[in-house]
Amino acid sequence: MSLTRRGTILAVGALAALSVLAVACGSSKSSTSSSATTSGTSAPGSNYNYSGLSGTLNGSGSTFQLAFNQAAIAGFQSVASGVTVNYGGGGSGKGKTDLQNEIVQWAGTDSLIKQTDEALYKGGTVLYFPTVAAPITVSYHLSGVSKTIKLDGPVLGQIFSTTIKTWNDPAIAALNSGVTLPNTPIVVVHRSDASGTTNNFTHYLTLAASSTDWALGTGDTVNWSTSTQAGNGNSGVAQVVKSTNGAIGYVDFSDAKAAGLTFASIKNKAGTYEAPSVAGAAAAVASAPVNANLTYFALDSSGATAYPITSATYVIVYQKQTNTQLGNALKGWLNYLLTGAQALAQPANYAPLPSSLQQKAIAQLSQLQIG
Amino acid sequence: MTPPTLVDETPSPSPTDPERLKGLTSGGRGGRGDVVFRWVALLAGLFVLAILALIAYTTTHEAWPAFKLAGVKFVVGTTWDPVHNEYGALALIYGTILTSVIALILAVPVSIGIALFVNEAAPRRLRRPVVTVLDLLAAVPSVVYGLWGILVFAPWIQPLYQDVADACKGIPVLDSIFGGTASGPSYMTAGIILAIMIIPIVTSLSREVIATVPASQREAAYGMGATRWEMIRHAVLPWSRGGVVGAIMLGLGRAMGETIAVALVVGSAIQITSHVFLPGYSIAAIIANTFGSAEDVGRSALIGLGVVLFVMTILVNVAARSIVTRFDRRAQGA
Amino acid sequence: MSDLLVRGPSEPEPTEDQERRLLEVTIGRSRRVRNRLATVWMYASFVAVVIPLGFIVGYVVAKGLSVLSVDWFTKPLAIISSQPGGGMAPAIVGTLVITFWAAAMAVPLGVLGAVYLHEYGGKGRLARLIRFMSDVMTGVPSIVMGLFIYTIWTLRFGLSGFAGSLALGCLMLPIVIRSTEEMLRLVPDDLRMASYALGNRKWRTIITVVLPAALGGIVSGVMLAVARAAGETAPLLFLIGASRTVNWDAFTGPNSALSLQIFTNATTPFAAAQNRAWGAALTLVGLVFILTIIARVVAARFSLKHQ
Repeated sequence: MSLTRRGTILAVGALAALSVLAVACGSSKSSTSSSATTSGTSAPGSNYNYSGLSGTLNGSGSTFQLAFNQAAIAGFQSVASGVTVNYGGGGSGKGKTDLQNEIVQWAGTDSLIKQTDEALYKGGTVLYFPTVAAPITVSYHLSGVSKTIKLDGPVLGQIFSTTIKTWNDPAIAALNSGVTLPNTPIVVVHRSDASGTTNNFTHYLTLAASSTDWALGTGDTVNWSTSTQAGNGNSGVAQVVKSTNGAIGYVDFSDAKAAGLTFASIKNKAGTYEAPSVAGAAAAVASAPVNANLTYFALDSSGATAYPITSATYVIVYQKQTNTQLGNALKGWLNYLLTGAQALAQPANYAPLPSSLQQKAIAQLSQLQIG
Repeated sequence: MTPPTLVDETPSPSPTDPERLKGLTSGGRGGRGDVVFRWVALLAGLFVLAILALIAYTTTHEAWPAFKLAGVKFVVGTTWDPVHNEYGALALIYGTILTSVIALILAVPVSIGIALFVNEAAPRRLRRPVVTVLDLLAAVPSVVYGLWGILVFAPWIQPLYQDVADACKGIPVLDSIFGGTASGPSYMTAGIILAIMIIPIVTSLSREVIATVPASQREAAYGMGATRWEMIRHAVLPWSRGGVVGAIMLGLGRAMGETIAVALVVGSAIQITSHVFLPGYSIAAIIANTFGSAEDVGRSALIGLGVVLFVMTILVNVAARSIVTRFDRRAQGA
Repeated sequence: MSDLLVRGPSEPEPTEDQERRLLEVTIGRSRRVRNRLATVWMYASFVAVVIPLGFIVGYVVAKGLSVLSVDWFTKPLAIISSQPGGGMAPAIVGTLVITFWAAAMAVPLGVLGAVYLHEYGGKGRLARLIRFMSDVMTGVPSIVMGLFIYTIWTLRFGLSGFAGSLALGCLMLPIVIRSTEEMLRLVPDDLRMASYALGNRKWRTIITVVLPAALGGIVSGVMLAVARAAGETAPLLFLIGASRTVNWDAFTGPNSALSLQIFTNATTPFAAAQNRAWGAALTLVGLVFILTIIARVVAARFSLKHQ
């Protein structure tokens, strides 16, 4: 081989190595480069200045709020074109774990952080920002039955514990007089990932059903009976329910509607059977007590028109934001979620926050320590 | 001005010059360039050992909290309950083995059939297309198999499963295997998809082995008046038995480790049941579905599952190699 | 019937009647039946494989084609996943970038490792150990590789395409070593001897004679390993995160990949998302097929047998 050929190869190799190094070094450039933003001093609220914000915000977590987040991301694009917001879903459990390890800047969750887990959050104190609320539907697939099925807490507990095994069980028939129920076996569908939706749904069952009807407790995952099926994420459960005759599962309202599922009407505390709706969820949230950290409890609400399985959902972030540019972008994103995006909630099948809670959340924005 | 020389007239070293001889007799060895290059190549080779050692160490280290918590029950316990920190992986090991066994039962006859088809029965013109079809099958990524499985195949075959289940109702052995309420996503569906995926591997390896059967063996069988099937049965298969078994074991290893296609179609239900039309789970599938949200001991437990799977595939690979060498020795000796 | 009769080259072709009578006399019925069954089995096996392949490829092409467009290759991922719209550019770029870096790491290491095994190690104990471990490494389930990289890389450096490249590179490495060693074995020793005879050192021989001679086969093996890596999903599940926009930088920030997009869209009930999954499947299968065809062409053109 001639020297020139060897030399060429060496030169190409050196160039390749240099370009690798350049990319590696260049990509680790500090993102505090040109963050002369004015938005850091802007007051939270409707007149926020989004124009100077830039950066990429990565989030993951609850699939319950996924559809709302997507609508909000689309809206945010038009007001803050310099910021890219990513939301990876994956379930409340994943969101909390990713935030613990500081792999994401913000996480979505429908369930609260356990006190024993608080030490795992490497970035310090975590703030809860409620964004929307929505019904958890009990969606089912039962061919041959056109009327909406009515269910109440105790029967739901028995169905999801697989104590009731077929659709024409007397307990179900008792609540649905005038409806001929087929002999189809019930296929219970739940989440395979750690889910805030599971947490809220099982919490409702613990409240509304006796301990004999529902004995599996409350949690992001519970010890489901072995004859059940699982889906990944709210949309995964929706998919299994949609494609399996006799299936019943818990799915957030937005995904259930988008998938064209049928949902049951659930008896609320006041005694009326309520179909899942944005209005029913709003009624449940309106009468819900709010804690100091802005978490609230809307399940099994006593309102007359409240939908009994209404779930809160939150965006959690660290109070201390070490990166100025990203911290400001995050503050802008949160502000948008609490103001401009609220108008996007209802079309996306979520209930916006009542104004008192909304004001408290906006006020909490000033607790963020940026830089 | 001296005219340009056409012939290089510089005196060349004598043929017995020691420097020259070194280049001729030492096979090119010696010299600094060689030492450097040898070391670079050696380091690259050692890299494999280093990575493997690192994988073994890291995963075992991470899984240790879960192993310590559950002890032997990790492998023999039947309850997998991250909520109450109970980690018994038997149901998952069972699911992994069951889906792989179903895949083998379906894939092996087909693979050997195709391998024999290509080597013995196919008209010469068909050989190329058959090999192309197998290559195409092997090139399809596993996630595409899973996609087709969950969106097309599972819904389509569920009524068929139910018909079989209904037909087997009451019949003693068949009912416990095929009975019950059939589900599209199930052990059986996962096994079928896995079978389609491992057929190319088992076939191509078997094909290579069968092709090495010497013509003398085949001709001897024909010479004694054997039909083609008898020739295959008495000359080809005994000779290639070792290699074929090795190929089957490699297919088994691949089936056990397959993650995504199984995660999509197996039904995500943790249970131990003999009914193949019911949903189930496998080790790789549960890791894929639940790792993202696992924290602390839960995460260790899933990594521990990974270690168990790794050990299982190593055992299968080692068994495959030993069977191949044993049969080879016997065939050559016989 | 002709498969049952062995005939000399100069014997005349028997009539059908003669054939039948000859067979009935020489080969008993049960043997003929068994032979026929075996033939049916062999043909049926082939059909049994063609049918699912036909369905799978058919569905992927039919459903995927309806989604492909110029937008598909240029636009970022759809923001609202339950509605049609958006494109796959981030996933296509992600797959290319992640696979590129995986190959950039696995190929040099793999080729050099195979060079050591064949040219220097031979049958020595270290070489045999490395070969055995390389076989073991082919058996590491891809999800375990993903767990490994998550533990040592992602927890420290966050989500990035490069983490995915590390996992895929580890998966490719044993395949590259294996196939390269096979190719090196095919290079006749005469070529090496001739090179030594001309005074070349061993390392020069390897670089200037052996590797170029095996190049066709090596490239083919590499392409096949790359095709396999491009289709891998499991390791990427928790290593690369989710990016909605194109990210050419594999070292910073989350990325996307076609295989992941197929997986996430396949587990939804929304028609728009499922169509996207088919489209991504078509794109990925197309990419893999192109790589496989390139591999075959290069192998055929530069094959040692023809030189």
